[in-house]
Amino acid sequence: MSGELLEIENYSGAFRSPTGELTPVLHEVSYRLKAGALTAVVGETGSGKSLVALSVLGIQPPSFVRSSGRILFRGVDLLGLDEKAMRKIRGAEISMVFQDARAALNPVFTVGRQLADVYQLQHGGGRSAAMKQAIEALRRVSIPEPARRARQYPHEFSGGMAQRAMIAMAALICEPSLLILDEPTTGLDVTIQSDIMELITDLCRVGGLTTCLITHDLGIVAETCDEVVVMNAGRVVETGSAQAIFTQPQDPYTRRLLAASQLVEAAA
Amino acid sequence: MSPRDAVGEISPELGAIRQVRRRPKLSWSMRIGGAVLIFYVAVALISLVWTPYDPLTPGIGDGYDAPSAAFLLGTDRLGSDMLSRLMVGARYNLGITLTAVTIALCIGTTIGVIAGYHGGAIDTVVLRAVEIFQAFPGLLFAMLVVQAVGPGIVMLVVQAVGPGIVNVILVLSFVGIPDYLRLARGEIHSRRSWQYAEAARMVGNPPWRVAFRHLLPNSIGPLLAFTSINAAFVALITASLGFLGLGLGPNTPEWGNMIARGQDGVMTGQWWVSFFPGLAILGLTGAFYLLGDAISDLTDPRRRR
Amino acid sequence: MRARMILRRLLWVFPVAFGVVTLTFFMARVFNGDPTELYAPPEATDALRAQIRAQLGLADPLPVQYFHYLAELLRFNLGTSFTTGQSVASDLSDRLPATLELGLVGLTLGIVVGIPLGVIAAVNRERWPDFLVRGATLSGMALPQFWVGLVLIGIFFVNLHLLPGPVGRLPIGVALPPRVTGFLLIDTLLAGEPALWWLSVRQLALPALTLGFSTAAPIARVTRSAMVEAMQSDYIRTAIAMGHGRRVVWFRYSLRNALLPVVTLIGGIAGHIFAGAVLLESIFAWPGLGQYALQAIERSDFAALQGFVIYASLLYVLAFLLVDILYMFIDPRTRA
Repeated sequence: MSGELLEIENYSGAFRSPTGELTPVLHEVSYRLKAGALTAVVGETGSGKSLVALSVLGIQPPSFVRSSGRILFRGVDLLGLDEKAMRKIRGAEISMVFQDARAALNPVFTVGRQLADVYQLQHGGGRSAAMKQAIEALRRVSIPEPARRARQYPHEFSGGMAQRAMIAMAALICEPSLLILDEPTTGLDVTIQSDIMELITDLCRVGGLTTCLITHDLGIVAETCDEVVVMNAGRVVETGSAQAIFTQPQDPYTRRLLAASQLVEAAA
Repeated sequence: MSPRDAVGEISPELGAIRQVRRRPKLSWSMRIGGAVLIFYVAVALISLVWTPYDPLTPGIGDGYDAPSAAFLLGTDRLGSDMLSRLMVGARYNLGITLTAVTIALCIGTTIGVIAGYHGGAIDTVVLRAVEIFQAFPGLLFAMLVVQAVGPGIVMLVVQAVGPGIVNVILVLSFVGIPDYLRLARGEIHSRRSWQYAEAARMVGNPPWRVAFRHLLPNSIGPLLAFTSINAAFVALITASLGFLGLGLGPNTPEWGNMIARGQDGVMTGQWWVSFFPGLAILGLTGAFYLLGDAISDLTDPRRRR
Repeated sequence: MRARMILRRLLWVFPVAFGVVTLTFFMARVFNGDPTELYAPPEATDALRAQIRAQLGLADPLPVQYFHYLAELLRFNLGTSFTTGQSVASDLSDRLPATLELGLVGLTLGIVVGIPLGVIAAVNRERWPDFLVRGATLSGMALPQFWVGLVLIGIFFVNLHLLPGPVGRLPIGVALPPRVTGFLLIDTLLAGEPALWWLSVRQLALPALTLGFSTAAPIARVTRSAMVEAMQSDYIRTAIAMGHGRRVVWFRYSLRNALLPVVTLIGGIAGHIFAGAVLLESIFAWPGLGQYALQAIERSDFAALQGFVIYASLLYVLAFLLVDILYMFIDPRTRA
């Protein structure tokens, strides 16, 4: 099992409705994230891919109930840890970037302040030092005029810029071993999407950061990812290297997914 | 159902409500609130045919009798039985509140829907008028009109209940209209350009039908929740007006009025004359609040998380 | 940019005030009828009545009276009260501090108790502290203020003899200190009379407690629901995902976000209170504006009534304006 940073093992669970009924949504989900690799978890909306990711960090919706399975991070079952232990892992070891960046940032605090707060949390130190780091992080994700931007509020950022700030927070301010990105480019303009993807791949390759990219868009996966996990309706349908998946998809669902994104010709 | 009606059925909120109706999951708040309200209605109805003693006749007790086996809640200064007066009082407080709320709801919502749907000049004028109206201290306005209108309107409407009541109801309705108006207007205004509204229009529905038959039902959730909470508020103002002795005869067993008349008793230790009517108000108002909370929880589409 | 928005809101005050003034003017006369009867002796002749009517300024036709009133208003003359014989403006300024003092102390109590209670309820959601707070706040909102006041009087004065009876701002027979601000809590200290200060505190206690109880309830509720909503937001999820601890998440972030609707609520309550808590003042014999208004209605004192309504409406509008301005400072999104 060496080389695997994270292993999801037979993870199953259901949503509990307000009346107490259970609706199973995840069925024996299993996949592994190789250390240093960029793995894509693809699937359509409702496939459960985000749910698994949230479970890794322990921030899944309260109405979700696990029925079985383990999530092993460096061999330790995260699901067995208490809240205090999880808090030590969040940000420091495992970090996450969410979909709608502008909504994922607190509207009444400046972006710089939020980044600085996380810096102080993870690395200690004083406010001014943390602010400097925050500005530096913004610069490293190619946000122009980072000092001015740090004093602005999330609603003053464009979608793409906010996403960069989020990535700065999750990948640079925190210094995790594993970075999970949940649909980081959805909702952004196409050109911005490729910019963001470039940023992500840079961080991954240069820093050796294990990255898990969750998306429904096969287009952005093709050129960038090493490994692919395909999910459908709460199940893992197929896993493999990117090349294998794109050139020789085994599962009919995978083939349909590929066909729908018209990548079959490109791969061939 | 005709195609014209069906168009409005596909909107999201209505779907949520239909789902709820199929499998009503009654929360604690709704159960308690509903039960208490039903209890009050029952008491009011029962009081029409029976009370332990005659609530309006003085001298049954000696005056300021403490609660005992004979008089469960004691008697007031004039010796009238408190329990009987409280029961009859339910008719007043509950009746006034429900009537005033219904009137305000109907008038306010209608105007609000019209203003919200048409937009433009009508909307602006209505909104500004409401603003001016609302700048007026509500209770003061109520006091003013009720105090003064007094017996004048009696000639027009002869009721068994009594002259002042009509005025109180009218005034309370008027004070309540702006809120319903704003709510309905806001709801309709934000929905009139949605797709199902477009569809309804294209199928040939006249504007009023689109507004009332298709758009309005989608706001039932917020409207009902608001109505319940507004009813709580109106119940309190009713009691306040009664406390000030406005619009109702001095011997009327309205709860606020009873509290006022028991004021002297509080100073000399006969606490029950003012105490129990207050509990009665607490129950009525609290029930409305609980129901309102429960309804808004139920019909809030965000709850589906 | 901000200044322009504030200015625009300020300008709206005038048409609204004008509308209110006109409304009051006509309503008072149409509804309250002719007060001449109240001020004329029973055996007065018609001639005497006409004279009194003229003295009261009611002899002219209605439109004339209206324009006359408007003209006087522009000179800041609110007219003369029928009952006190003084100018309405001086009446209002005489009684304003009493209402303000009670209102400020009561509202502060409500905030100081309400917000922490709301936080406790939100943090312990669906557990017993939450139910306790929700139950208490429900009664706080469902109970009429005057009843609460009476109950408190009954307990603390009649039964326990801990606090004085409802006789006003000072015990009977005790003279007021020389008026500097009109606030007894300040003026007594300025006059160097700590004993007097203590007396006024004791008199203030019960009405302020009643007011505090009534205002703490909705404040606690809104704080709770706003915090709960913040806790379910995406941005709090981010904070948790980054490893922030509970305390930071609740108190540094959620509470700050929750403050926005709370501020709006407090503004509304403040408007209400400072317009004169009529019922409260009547129970505690508090010589404030609420009592003034009540008397004005009962005695068909038009000038006093109009003066009061103008004051109260302006106050409401100002309260909401202040809330809006405050919002501009605490919610960055409004500055866009």
